[in-house]
Amino acid sequence: MIDKTLVPLLAIKGLAKRYPGVVALKGVDLTANAGEVHALVGANGAGKSTLMNLLAGAQAPSEGEICIEGQVVRFDGPASAQDRGIATVYQEFSLVPQLSVARSIFLGREPKSAFGFVDTRRLAERTRALLERFNLKLDPDAEVATLSVADQQLVEIGRALSFDARILILDEPTAVLSFAEQDNLFAVIRQLKSEGMLVLYVSHHLREVLAIADRVTVLRDGEKIATRDTAGLTVDDLVSLMLGRSGAYAKTTGHQPDSADGSLFDITYRTAGPESRLALRGGEIVGLAGLVGAGRTTFARALSGNALSSASVDIGHEGRTLHFSSPREAMGHGVVYITEDRKRDGIFAELDIVANATASALPSLGLGPLRNSRKEQAVSSNILQRLHLVASSLSAPIVKLSGGNQQKVLIGRALLTKPTILVCDEPTRGVDIGAKAEIHEILRGLARSGVAVLVVSSEIEELLALAHRIVVMHERRFVAEMPAHEAEESQILIAASSGSKSMEKNDEA
Amino acid sequence: MAIARRSARLDLESSGIWLLLAVAVGAAAATIPVFRDPANLANVLRQSSVLGILAIGQTFVIAAGMIDLSVGMIAGLVVVLACWMLGNDPSLTLAVIALMLTLGASIGLVNGLVVNRLKLHPLILTFGMLSILQGGIFTFTDRSVGRASPMLQAAANDDIWGVPLSTILLVAVLAVFHLVFSRTRFGYHLIATGGNAESARRAGIDVKRIRLACFAISGFCAALAGLLLAGRLGTGYPLAGTGLELDAIVAVVLGGTSLAGGRGSVIRSVGGVVALTVISNVLNLLEVSAFVQMFIKGLIVVGAILANQPRREQP
Repeated sequence: MIDKTLVPLLAIKGLAKRYPGVVALKGVDLTANAGEVHALVGANGAGKSTLMNLLAGAQAPSEGEICIEGQVVRFDGPASAQDRGIATVYQEFSLVPQLSVARSIFLGREPKSAFGFVDTRRLAERTRALLERFNLKLDPDAEVATLSVADQQLVEIGRALSFDARILILDEPTAVLSFAEQDNLFAVIRQLKSEGMLVLYVSHHLREVLAIADRVTVLRDGEKIATRDTAGLTVDDLVSLMLGRSGAYAKTTGHQPDSADGSLFDITYRTAGPESRLALRGGEIVGLAGLVGAGRTTFARALSGNALSSASVDIGHEGRTLHFSSPREAMGHGVVYITEDRKRDGIFAELDIVANATASALPSLGLGPLRNSRKEQAVSSNILQRLHLVASSLSAPIVKLSGGNQQKVLIGRALLTKPTILVCDEPTRGVDIGAKAEIHEILRGLARSGVAVLVVSSEIEELLALAHRIVVMHERRFVAEMPAHEAEESQILIAASSGSKSMEKNDEA
Repeated sequence: MAIARRSARLDLESSGIWLLLAVAVGAAAATIPVFRDPANLANVLRQSSVLGILAIGQTFVIAAGMIDLSVGMIAGLVVVLACWMLGNDPSLTLAVIALMLTLGASIGLVNGLVVNRLKLHPLILTFGMLSILQGGIFTFTDRSVGRASPMLQAAANDDIWGVPLSTILLVAVLAVFHLVFSRTRFGYHLIATGGNAESARRAGIDVKRIRLACFAISGFCAALAGLLLAGRLGTGYPLAGTGLELDAIVAVVLGGTSLAGGRGSVIRSVGGVVALTVISNVLNLLEVSAFVQMFIKGLIVVGAILANQPRREQP
């Protein structure tokens, strides 16, 4: 008899995955126990996704083995991994929006009644039992489309749990969540942990990893660098393991914009409730913080001429008041927005890199109505080189690029229009840590050249490192403002969640 | 390595239509002597020109991510109106041509305006327009009216040095619109709009104007095709335009233009038209009955479109 407590729930031995021409994973060993939250971190291309796919049965390893409770298992597809108790919640959900929560959780395995109809009563019972057991606060009858992203994620987790999984893989689970939702998710994860599940937590967000995980495994270039207990570990430690060098974010230091120097943009934001004002200055990076739902993106869109009907922005500049009714018009006045969702409304997936980079600037590149492809090529190659784009060829479709490089192309597109105000909504979302630092450097360079940069980010750390000044939004209004070098993460959080203007008071309280 | 391999593989999406055309023409020329007869070949070309011009316009609309079902009826309306006006006074031909082209472009503009303003799906709207125009034609007349002027008839039926004038017209229209499609900012912007309209709007592209222009081009081409068709028929036959829109759409899709938008080529669309015409010509020469022809053509179309489907590489 083997003592079960001595056999790790999951043991990976010498796992390798080779693609033609690329070795994605080079013999990784890893063990993880039941009742553990085990994080996987690494820069993009480090092999996290490959490892995850191998465990989820989405791909087969070239070498090595996966053992569950000491038994070697082989998967011939995601379904067989699920049968072995490994469930995966991917960053991109695969829910059918029209179905109810209960139907979504048991999709394809609905309890059937005598004539093959779905037994709705048993379905409801089983759903309720599952939700209660794991303390998931969801209405079983609610339609998925009506749920918040956070609740949709809980539906995905519920679906994973309904397979009686013992190993749950979460891929970047907090990418779409606000702080409060993140707390809720962490509570769910702790609940799962206490039920004896192994949670594999794949994330870019090192701070979260340290907060939730018991142990963390760092991958770099397909190799396992280390597995550490998170107790006593710092973000800087992790970053230096991931990169082989230290320092998470280079700070914007030394350079403080001269307020008399840059031209001033006096922004009035009108939406439901009282109007709110904000000043932007050429040469300055302003970080806009706030919870998800605080209205940051709505404001950023309105500022750049893409307003929802309920919101509007006036920009006072050199005695004139500007109001834009389309992104095109805003661009004409030098106000450019870089989207938070590249795939949905940023890139043209099938078009090549040059076409993507020059999309906004074509009128200045052609001869009358005709295009001048040589000039387009030259101009985009010039700007993209300055942005350190890594691509095999500029005529490759943009979808072939990594997230960070796609983002650089979109930044290039914005720069080719010669902006005076650049609005970046989550500029480093889904971007690996190396590219992140590069994008920060690009934005700093832009500010130095006199552009007013507004950065919207949910990562307070990023804003603190990048911005000169932090503005906090709460319920569609600007509620607090502070120089970044004096700001504390806690101050920002308090202002963002309470809307209180006087943070000193809150701090004392 | 990877790049070399990709270019070596046959790209069915862009060359599939030429392959189909080559196989169809080669097989026909090898097995049916009459097919090789210059008179028959000229006939094939003549038959291709009406549909070819329609397909050119349709390519703009489809590549921009929309569809225009009203083109057949625009052509039909032009056939009836042009012949009716020219029945008494053939000397008005040039004025009527200008009027009809304006009419076609205007109907296209109306399509575009309604799509932009009311945010109606182009399929629904242009189907409504098809029905409205059809109703209009039959309210106006239920039998053939008027006569095409000698000038229109000549343009549609005469040859110069053995080449049909209508083919020369098609080539000229093709050359102009190919340039517009592939070499102008507008052409690139319409591809971007078809690929991802929201991205295009946020990139500062005037998506509404693109849509308007695409429909106007489509309406203009439909009217031009209608004038040619009037010349061929010689009289204002009220059913002349029936079903042409579907043939045009099939030809465009055969030419590799994505029905979802974001990809396309006017030259390949015309290739699609010629291929369809060759096939139907061969079936006629073989004296296959009209009903069996429909059956065979349907199979060929579905098969060719399946083969033409864009292959997505696995990520």
